[in-house]
Order: sequence, then C-alpha cells, then structure tokens
Amino acid sequence: MILIVAEHADDRLKPISRELAVLGRELADDLGRTLTVAILARDPASLVEECRALGPDRIVTVAGDRLEPYDPDVWTAAVEALVSEDEPAFVLAGHTSTGYDFLPRVAARTGRPLVPACIEWQRHGERVVFTRPVFNAKMHMRVTPKGEGPCFVTAAPGAFPPREPDEAGSGPPQDGGEPRLDAFDVDLSGLPVRSKRIGRESAAAGALDLGSADIIVAGGRGIREKEHFGLIDDLAEALGGAVGASRPVVDSGWRPRDYQIGSSGQTVSPRLYVAVGISGAVQHLVGMQSSRCIVAINKDADAPIFKVAHYGIVDDLFSVVPEITRTVRALKGQSPPVGSAGSGRESD
Amino acid sequence: MSPGAAASGRDTLMKVIVCLRPVPDPASRLFVNEDRTWIKDAELSFVTNEADTHACEAALELCERVSASRSEAGEVVVLSIGRDRAARVLREGLAMGAARAIHLADDDFEGGDEYVRARMIARAVEKDGGADVLLTGVQSDDLGGGVTGVMAAELLGWAHASVVVGVNAVEAGLRARRELEGGLIETLELATPCVLTIQLGINQPRYATLRGIMAAKKKEMKTWSRGDLGMAAGDVGSEGALCQVTEVRVPERDHRVQMLSGSPAEAAARLVEKLRLEAKVI
Repeated sequence: MILIVAEHADDRLKPISRELAVLGRELADDLGRTLTVAILARDPASLVEECRALGPDRIVTVAGDRLEPYDPDVWTAAVEALVSEDEPAFVLAGHTSTGYDFLPRVAARTGRPLVPACIEWQRHGERVVFTRPVFNAKMHMRVTPKGEGPCFVTAAPGAFPPREPDEAGSGPPQDGGEPRLDAFDVDLSGLPVRSKRIGRESAAAGALDLGSADIIVAGGRGIREKEHFGLIDDLAEALGGAVGASRPVVDSGWRPRDYQIGSSGQTVSPRLYVAVGISGAVQHLVGMQSSRCIVAINKDADAPIFKVAHYGIVDDLFSVVPEITRTVRALKGQSPPVGSAGSGRESD
Repeated sequence: MSPGAAASGRDTLMKVIVCLRPVPDPASRLFVNEDRTWIKDAELSFVTNEADTHACEAALELCERVSASRSEAGEVVVLSIGRDRAARVLREGLAMGAARAIHLADDDFEGGDEYVRARMIARAVEKDGGADVLLTGVQSDDLGGGVTGVMAAELLGWAHASVVVGVNAVEAGLRARRELEGGLIETLELATPCVLTIQLGINQPRYATLRGIMAAKKKEMKTWSRGDLGMAAGDVGSEGALCQVTEVRVPERDHRVQMLSGSPAEAAARLVEKLRLEAKVI
C-alpha cells in the first residue's frame, strides 16, 4: 500500500495533495499496490469528497481536535500510528512547511529511510530509486532506500504536476469505482503540548501584487549591491513590466519583502519572466516556472535556472542587461504608430 | 567551562548549541567523482553553510538578550562533523563569539545521510550535558534536504520549529516566528529544550573581528571520535545511512532552452528578436 498524507487548509485540499496523488498513483500502479489517502483534520468529513477526486483506492480519516491548528507532535503521532497499523511500502507527504516538518520525525522515530524533496523516481528491478536535488540543484542524487518496510518521501512541489482535467485518460480512475472509506481511531488528546500557535499573519503588507503582471524582470543575488538594482528597474521599465526579486535580494534589504517571488513569497506566471542574476533555487523555481516564456541571464552556466528557461545568456549581467534595455528601447522607439524620425531598427 | 558545570548550571544558564556544516564554496564548479557517488571535493574550498552562519548569529543574539535581561550568562557552543574543514568552520564560529566548540572527527564519519548526521548530533548534545536550544540552518548547501534538525529533535525527544525567521526568549520558553508558504508567518510558543532550524534572512551574521579571531585560538575545542559518541561502525558514514546513494549526476538540461551567445550586444539583440518574433511575448 502507498499512503499519502493530504494537506489542507480552510476545508480545502492544498494543490500539493493533488501532486502527491500523481506520485502515489504512479508508484501504486507500477508496484501493484493500492493507494490510500489519509486525511488528518478536526472534521475530516468535509474533505472526503475532494479526496475522492484524487482517485485513491481507500480514504482513511483521522479525526481529532488536536490536529488543527497543525502541531508537528500531533501529526507525527497520528501518522506513526497509521504506519504501524497499515504497514505501507511508501508514505508520501509534500516537501512543504507541513510535510518537511513532521515526516522527518516519523522517519527518525521508526528508524526508516526518508527521501526529502523527491523530484523523480524509477524502478530498478525490485527496488525503487528516487531522485533528489543536491548542491542547490546543481546535481541530482539517486538514492535507494535500504531494507524492508515503510519508506518516507517528501515530494518537491511542482515535480509531479496533475494532468489537466480535459486531457484524455485523466479524471478519477480507475477500475475500482468508489474508494473504501475507513475511520482510523487514535487518541491524540493526551499528548503534551510542547508548541502552540499563538498567531498567524501575512509577512508582507501585500502592497505589490505581481500575480497579475504580464511581464516581470526579477533580480537576484548576482546583482551584488543594492545600488545596482537600477539595472533591473531600467529593463522592467523598457519592457513595460513589473520588478520582482529572489530571496537573497529581500533578505539583504535591497527590496521590500513583497517583491519576493518563490515558495515563501508570491507565485507568478507572466507572459515573460526575465531572471537576472538568479541561480534558481528550488524555492524560487516553484514560484515562477509556469511562466510562459522564461529568460535567464547568469554568469554560471550550471545555474539551475537554465533548466526551466526558454532562452539563456551566460555572461556578466552588468554587460548584458544594459544592452538588452538599450535594444528594447530602440525597438519601442521605432514601433509607435505615429511615424517618427528615429533611426532604423538595431541590427542583429 | 566543563560540560559538568554547564549541566549543573542549566537552571539559570541559557545554553545554545549550533550546528555548523562545512560545504563547498557556492561559487565552486562541481564535478561528479569517479564512482559517481558524490562530487570531487578534495580540491574545493569549503565554507560555513550559509544558513548555519545565520543560526550562529541567532544563537549569539539569543544569549546576549537573555544575559542582558536576566543578568545571567548564556553560552553558545558550536558543533561540526568532519575533518579539517569542520575544524575551520568551528574556529569561525568561535571567532564570531561562541564560547567553545565540539568537533566530531573520525575517518568512519565520511558519507552518511541526514539520519546519520542527526544521530551524531543528538549523541553529541547528550554527551555534552544537553542544552536549552539546538540550532541548525534550515538546510545545507550540500544535501539540502532540510530535515536533519527536525530528525535530531525527534532523536533527542525535544520539541522543534522549522524555517524560523525570528526568535525570542519568553517566560514559557521560546517564541519563534515560522515561515509558511505564500508569505504567511506563524508565531509559536515552544517549550525548551527545543530545536529550531533557522532560515536565511533572519539576521545579518556578524563578521569576526581581529580580536575575535585571536580569542578563538584560546577557546576550548573538544574532539570526539565515533567511540566517544558510543556509536558502532555500522551506525555512521554511508553504512549507517538509511538510503544508499545509487548515482550522483549533472541534471539533464531541458532541451527547450536556447542559449544565445556572442558579445553582450549580439546576445542582447538575438534575445530581443527571439522574444519578438519567435516567442511573441514583447
């Protein structure tokens, strides 16, 4: 059996749960196992309907007041109890602030393997080999869990995208019809309270909404100094786009927190995304990789940003970016409908 | 200060242990090694993992604030696994202001996954008489799984909070701000002892002063072997790992990327034309 621990908020499944179902179904079908989705919630009933659409063979609900708000100790106890009862071959959670927060505890408690941030898997004979990014995604490492018994995996967000509903062969499978529905009873009320959520707020005031921008030019660590960020502003202005930033820029105080694009900032998918001096940490890629056209400018040819880019320039951004700005300005200077006496188009 | 004194004084002393990991300089060009199980790292220069320098700063600030408010001494201890590289990052931690260092060094420690690292850290913390807080960086620039600190918390039987962007001592223990997805921050109160994994950007790590560097040379650095930690050969290194490394490889580049070469002006002109005529996005 393959066990998925669904993530949810406000009585809705989070997108990562659908991605886990993709990985879970692939593994289950390939290994000839069944797929179970576990819902841990105060009132799991409200999520059952959505979980059916994930196409599991079985849905198991774990109910308890202590399961919300999320507390790693409580989720660890619940999942450990489920695992020892059901003995799944693989237990999948998201590589998210929930998944990487509790699943390592379950793995360490049971002394079983954990594969963090999994992006891919393959069958090697009887064994499953998982791929995880290492060295800031400059390398990939394939690992084989040792021994028999449950293996824990956190799936990198975006690595197992659900199929679009209108694609052939998609939709709630399969042959089995309705999934079985089980309630799993575990007493969580006696666990000591060691951590308690006392507040929750948005980090940035949210003045800047990049979600609706058509064109975004984003600067990263390669900019090196706050004073150089004008290069990004200039190119964005020339293109008529918005300005964004990667985490190091915001951490260094060169731009406010609401400019940040990535898993802990804004998620964007503009028509054109220009990444300047951004190496492409996994957390950044999650926030922009669905952009229609991605341009990467970086002096490091091995930078992972080139893996998601459509066009790449490996060079010093301080030489290239002003040239792009100049070319775009020249182009735009020529294009307005009112005929201008401007010079001809820049040669190429 | 001896472990015994630290342990006996723990009712009134804030003791923070910080894990520092030596990682290849992020600017390094990386190559896969001969047997394709790791990178060729013999020639690389190693630095302290970036998030760990933030963890070290957070530890120093936490102890300074506690000392200032309760007129009690706080103690920061730095801990690292590995040979000379680890000793070097420990000296950097001492130069930043940590009181003493624990160096876990043994030929058997080569290789190993997060579980092995977490076990060694937990053993070392216990052997040193425990602590109030254990800090790690949110993730390392080598394995990058972001799970070692959480696993260490489990093995120690302590509470934890991951991806911490703010921390303060309060009456009940610690108050920590945790980063969630989509720009959300949650505030937690945690009972000590506990483990926090520290996110980049929580602070500006201080530079070591010349005086700090000189003082570091006189500070205590304990070196513990596998035997000192009471661990068997099969518990550490790649033998102790729960996952076997099958292969390390350079990721295949997605074939859709078109690299535009030439002088800056030529590359810029090519790019703009592609964006206009091929991608039709400007």
